[in-house]
Amino acid sequence: MSDLILLAAVGFLSASQVLQKLGAQRRLHGTTGTRQWVLALFSPELVGAAVAIVIGTLLWLYVLYEMEVSRAFPFLSLGSVVVVAVSRLFLGEHVSLHRWAGVLLITVGITLVAQS
Amino acid sequence: MTPSSQRFLGIVLLASSIVLSSVGQLCMKVGMQELKQSAVALAPTWTALSALHEPLLFTVGGLLAYAISMLAWLAVLVRYPLSYAYPFLSLSYVLVYIGATHWSRLMETATPLRTAGTLLILVGVVLVSRTEGRAAI
Repeated sequence: MSDLILLAAVGFLSASQVLQKLGAQRRLHGTTGTRQWVLALFSPELVGAAVAIVIGTLLWLYVLYEMEVSRAFPFLSLGSVVVVAVSRLFLGEHVSLHRWAGVLLITVGITLVAQS
Repeated sequence: MTPSSQRFLGIVLLASSIVLSSVGQLCMKVGMQELKQSAVALAPTWTALSALHEPLLFTVGGLLAYAISMLAWLAVLVRYPLSYAYPFLSLSYVLVYIGATHWSRLMETATPLRTAGTLLILVGVVLVSRTEGRAAI
């Protein structure tokens, strides 16, 4: 059960990043002045991003309560891989082999940092 | 703005986002830890409340730093592709590790395995930073 909740947490947190990127691209890019910026924060993309990050964080906190950190972190670090994969699939970004290699090293690194 | 000052602003925003989120995490940890200790040690009196002053300041300050880091992150996303910028956020694991093992209020133990992990993260981030990061918007 915790595993499923953990996957859901990673899903919500990754979705929030994609929504933040879409919001930045569609609503924040080219804005001038604070007023416009603040208005953009209330666009559907960025409100959705905020909701997703809150749900993801709450699920993550629940998982941390139930599960060993050293077990939970590798999943969270997979978030980097998921975010890069969705950037490629849904945002049409080009991801070079170099970038993939860097992301994989980071994922392994985060897993090690969480080991006691 | 000239391309070079645009580039400079992008780096400053990315660095602020990473540093502020790390400082935020560390302050929240210190605040919550000391809140827990004072709550155990003290009876609920006014003197106790004033003793909570500092831990509360850390907790709220930490949350504030975290919130500002999120705004800086949005400004980063205006400038860079997500798949380029996101891996840089992992640098906060490195900063939090250094802070948690060196800040006198925390003093968590460093282990060779964890240190190796932070080094791997650094190598990974250097690899990503050498890929093409100009925003395609």
